[in-house]
Amino acid sequence: MAAQVATTKVPEVRDITRIERIGAHSHIRGLGLDDALEPRQVSQGMVGQLASRRAAGLILEMIKDGQIAGRAVLIAGQPGTGKTAIAMGIAQSLGPDTPFTALAGSEIFSLEMSKTEALSQAFRKAIGVRIKEETEIIEGEVVEIQIDRPATGTGAKVGKLTLKTTEMETIYDLGTKMIESLSKERVQAGDVITIDKATGKISKLGRSFTRARDYDAMGAQTQFVQCPEGELQKRKEVVHTVSLHEIDVINSRTQGFLALFSGDTGEIKSEVREQINAKVSEWREEGKAEIIPGVLFIDEVHMLDIECFSFLNRALESDLSPVLIMATNRGITRIRGTNYQSPHGIPIDMLDRLLIIATTPYTEKETRQILKIRCEEEDVELSEEAHTVLTRIGQETSLRYAIQLISTAGLVCRKRRGTEVQVEDIKRVYSLFLDEARSSQYMKEYQDSFLFNETQTSQMDTS
Amino acid sequence: MAVQQWADALKKAKKTALISDGKRKVHYQFEDGNEMAEEYDLKTDELVMRKWRHKTTFGGQGQWTLEVGETNPTGATSDLIKENSSNPLFMRRDTKTSFQWRIRNISYPLEVYSVTAEPMERCCVIRTSNKKYYKKFSIPDLERCQLPLESTALSFTHANNTLIISYKKPKEILTLEQELLGELKKLKGTSEGDIDCKTQ
Repeated sequence: MAAQVATTKVPEVRDITRIERIGAHSHIRGLGLDDALEPRQVSQGMVGQLASRRAAGLILEMIKDGQIAGRAVLIAGQPGTGKTAIAMGIAQSLGPDTPFTALAGSEIFSLEMSKTEALSQAFRKAIGVRIKEETEIIEGEVVEIQIDRPATGTGAKVGKLTLKTTEMETIYDLGTKMIESLSKERVQAGDVITIDKATGKISKLGRSFTRARDYDAMGAQTQFVQCPEGELQKRKEVVHTVSLHEIDVINSRTQGFLALFSGDTGEIKSEVREQINAKVSEWREEGKAEIIPGVLFIDEVHMLDIECFSFLNRALESDLSPVLIMATNRGITRIRGTNYQSPHGIPIDMLDRLLIIATTPYTEKETRQILKIRCEEEDVELSEEAHTVLTRIGQETSLRYAIQLISTAGLVCRKRRGTEVQVEDIKRVYSLFLDEARSSQYMKEYQDSFLFNETQTSQMDTS
Repeated sequence: MAVQQWADALKKAKKTALISDGKRKVHYQFEDGNEMAEEYDLKTDELVMRKWRHKTTFGGQGQWTLEVGETNPTGATSDLIKENSSNPLFMRRDTKTSFQWRIRNISYPLEVYSVTAEPMERCCVIRTSNKKYYKKFSIPDLERCQLPLESTALSFTHANNTLIISYKKPKEILTLEQELLGELKKLKGTSEGDIDCKTQ
C-alpha cells in the first residue's frame, strides 16, 4: 500500500497597490495664456476653448487689478466642454492669496439655515482681509538639545532645549511635536532659530558667528547671523489673511455655557455683520487692513431659485462684494420656483448683469490631447492604438466617461502584468462599464422587468 | 492730566464687587471693551492680584494676562514648548508704599545683578554680569498716569534665592489708590460666604 503524502499549501501572496486620489480637475494649472493674453492651444492643463480662455484671461486681469469687484460672469456650454476647468484655471492663476470659494447650486438648500444666509456666508467667505497681528515668538541661539527616549522603547519622547541670546539663557521643555520638528529641520547646537509659540513652527535663520570657527568645511549655502540680543521671548508682527466670514464667526460666538448647546455656527445676525463691516472700513481708512475681493464660483447655477437670484441681484451691489462666477449647462429652461422659462434658467434681469462666456464642444484632436494630459496626471501609460480607441469613445459617448476609463484600464493592465494599456484593456473596461447612452438603451429594453412598472399612461415631460 | 484721565476711566467703568475667601474682588468693564479684575486683602487692604483681558484684533475674547500677583505655576497651556521649572520666575507683588517685583529661582550672589531704570524707553532692565538673566519690564501704573521714571526710587535686595526689586510709589499714585479704595468700600458687595450660582 502506497503511503499517503501530505500536501502543504503555500498561501498565495496577494499584491495590493495604492491608487492616489486624483480630483477631476487636478491637472489644471492655470488658464494657459501668454503675457499678451493670447491663449496657447495646449498649456497649463487647458486644451482648446481659445475664445473662452481669452475672455477668462481678460476677467482675470481685471480681478487682479481690483477693478471688477462686484461683477458677475456666466460660463455657459454643453456638458463636458470645460466650464469648470476654466473656473479652476482662474482660481489657480489668482494664486493662494486671493480667496476663491467654490460651491454647487444645490449646496445652499439646507435645513439649518436659510438660502440667503447660506449665500451670505458664501459671499463673505470670498472676501479676504489682510491684516497685521502680533504673535509671540522665541528667538535665540541653540546651546544644547537633549532628547531622552524611554528605556522600554515605547512612550513619548522627552526633550530639553537650551536657548540663549547675548544677554540671557533659558531652558525649555519640549513636547513630542516640537521634537519631531527639530529633527525634521535638522537643528543643532549653534543654529539661530525662531519658534512661533502659537503654532510651534521652527524657522532656522542661520548659524551663529561665534561658531564660525568650529568647522573648516561648510556648505556653500551656510549663512552666518549675529546672535540675537535682549530677551528670548519677543512679539513680532505678522501679516495674515482671514475671510470676513471668519471674523463674523469669532464675533457671533455665544459666550458662557450656552456655547455648549450651539455647536454649529448657524445663522449670524445682520447686526454683527454691520458692525464688522464698519470696523473693517475703519481699518481700511486707517491703513491697518487691506481688503481683497476674491472670487465666488457657483456651479450648476440653474439650481438656484428665484429668491436666490433676487438676493444675488441685491448682494452684488454692495461695495464689499466678490467677483461672482457662475456656470451652467442648461439652455432655455424653467426658473426654479416659478413657472416661467428663461435662458439658462436665470431671470432676465440677472442675465443683464452678467458677462457671458460660451464654451463649445471639443474636437477630436482636443479630446485626444485632454485624455493624454489626464493619463499623465493619473500615471497611466497608453499605447498609440489604445489612445485612438479611447479618443473615439470620448467623441461618441462623453469626455467624462472616457476619462473614467483611464484608471480602470490602468488597473486591468496592471493585473495582467503589463506596462502599457493596450486596445484589449480598453475593450474590456468598455464592456464592463456602461456609458449613459447604453444604460438608457438597456433601461428601455428591459423596463418591464424592473419594479413599479404598472403605470401605462403617457409620461409627462419633466423640465 | 493723565492721572485724572485714568481716575475718570476707573469711575466710569461698570464695577462688580464680591467678597469671598478673605478677599475683596472687583471686576471692571471699561467702555472700550477691556476688562480688569482686582483682588484686595480684606485685612490689610493690599492689592493681591490684578489681571486684564483685552479684545483681540478680530473682536474675539483674549486671554487673561496677569499684571500683579502670583504667576500661574502651570504656565502656558501649550503642549508644544514651555519653560523648564528650574528657570527664574518673574512676578510682581506690590506693597503699600512701593511697587515690588520678585524673581524666584535665581541663585547668583548679590553682586552679579544690576538693575537700572531706562527713562528713555520707560522701562527697567535687570541684567546679570554672567549673562544668564535679562529682563525688561515696564511699570503699567506709571504708564497709565504718564508719570516719569526715576532711578532714585529703584532698589533691590537678594535673599533665599529670590531677587526683590522695589520702586517707591509717587505721591500721585498713593493719592489715587486711597481714593479708589474709598470708592470700592462704598460699593455694595455681595455678602461673605459661599455664593449660589443661579441658573440663567
